[in-house]
Amino acid sequence: MNMNVEIDHRATKATAPELNAGPVVSIVNIGKTYARGNLVALSDVSFDVGRGEFIVILGPSGAGKSTLLRCINRLAEPTKGRIYLNGKEITDRRRELRDARRQIGMVFQQFNLVTRLSVLLNVLSGRLSYRPTWRSFFYSFTREDRAIALECLEMVGLGHKVFQRADTLSGGEQQRVAIARALAQRPNVILADEPVASLDPKIARQVLKYLKEISQRLGISVICNLHQVDFAREYAERIVGLCQGQKIFDGPPSELTDDILNKIYGMRAEADGD
Amino acid sequence: MTSLEATIGQALDREAAWRHRRIAVRTLITALCLFVLWLAAVRINFSFTSVVLGAPGMADVFGRMFPPDFSYISRLIAPTIETVQIAVWGTLLAVVASAPLCLLAARNTTPHPLVYSVVRVFLNLLRSINELIYALLLVSAVGLGPYPGVLAIALHATGMLAKFVAEEIEHVNRGPIEALQAAGAGRMQIILMGILPQVLPSVVGYILYRFDVSIRSATVLGLVGAGGLGFSLITTMKMFKYHETAASIFMIIVLILMADWISGRLQKKIL
Repeated sequence: MNMNVEIDHRATKATAPELNAGPVVSIVNIGKTYARGNLVALSDVSFDVGRGEFIVILGPSGAGKSTLLRCINRLAEPTKGRIYLNGKEITDRRRELRDARRQIGMVFQQFNLVTRLSVLLNVLSGRLSYRPTWRSFFYSFTREDRAIALECLEMVGLGHKVFQRADTLSGGEQQRVAIARALAQRPNVILADEPVASLDPKIARQVLKYLKEISQRLGISVICNLHQVDFAREYAERIVGLCQGQKIFDGPPSELTDDILNKIYGMRAEADGD
Repeated sequence: MTSLEATIGQALDREAAWRHRRIAVRTLITALCLFVLWLAAVRINFSFTSVVLGAPGMADVFGRMFPPDFSYISRLIAPTIETVQIAVWGTLLAVVASAPLCLLAARNTTPHPLVYSVVRVFLNLLRSINELIYALLLVSAVGLGPYPGVLAIALHATGMLAKFVAEEIEHVNRGPIEALQAAGAGRMQIILMGILPQVLPSVVGYILYRFDVSIRSATVLGLVGAGGLGFSLITTMKMFKYHETAASIFMIIVLILMADWISGRLQKKIL
């Protein structure tokens, strides 16, 4: 019974944002220069992210993919440009930033779970921004939060591992818990920073499949950093190619020609042959 | 070819000069250390002969102590319990006081670098004073009895504990913290859900170790009038009841061995 109520709740949530039909995330002329050594990590990158879109940011390591994602939820502070979430600019004002961050889930290469806590508590930590601090002193969550967390765990096929400690899980399972944590935020967009770089190809496909499903079924946009071309071609609806901090491609996988790939990967692709 | 030989020759000369200088410096440092040690030995009247000559005196003391008056142990039960109570409350107060202090004294949780520096200095001051000295001062401030002993242990242990935990907090894995930040969690929520679980095992282990140390300290605090077994020790000695002194020492040994054993067992369970 409870589950039905939850799913209804989600359905209304998913349709509500259609009131403003614009892009979920707008990235406008974002640039980042590191003061030390004048290293330019990003220069003038702009693109819009549509609702439920699955975008892959493709590029070699050091291209600025990670910096770009981290500028969106301001884990890194851009030195230039603006970012809009549902038409509202994301600033570094604490209260506003917290509101923005709750709508942006994030998945990391190293999973970043609190390994000594149970799977359930890890997923519940996605609900923290909705609840007052005093509850955290008692590790207490509302019934609604627990229902949401369990539902999110079911969605990534880990409903049976709820009470296990996170460090007893395999890498692929840990990443799925991390996805459930991001889902528990009820986000509009999920940022995935090289989510499969520490996983073997078979498990990697499984994790990417979950992310893709999320974008299709729940209408949550996914921006996913990858360095593997084959994965990008297989899963992306749209690919943004980054090289040395600049956007040099933006289009569907079908338009990603070998010529463009050579540009993205520079001379390295020619030399390595992959 | 000749130029290569010349270069190698020069390099060899330089190497030899460097080696000789190093030998000279090391000899000098060694001589200096020996001199300082000799000075210190003179100052503290170091002598093997006094140990040998003092042997009869020691035998005399031990002779007067032996056999320990085990019947006196029944009157040591209360001071023993008091010693444990001093250690428990001293450690507990330290844990409570450390909770906010360690957060202020860790670089990644402090609200401001200035607060960090001030609290670090404060903790160093707390740590630099021995429990016995605190007890000496507190006995004259709040009077004889176990309570100044509790405060003495709490003050010293707070300095030790808060610094240890602060360092643990600084070495926490950044990844999960970043994930919670990204999820929009607040400062306190990150501390409770991200940092605390990571430092908890080592912190609990250290608290148990601190408790063990506190028991040892509590046994001597009585020497300055701050209650516990040390008080029995010093009073029996002042009344020349050496058999009862021996019983007190016996009780101290038993207590410390027990504390050691219990905290060891608990630590093993946690880690």
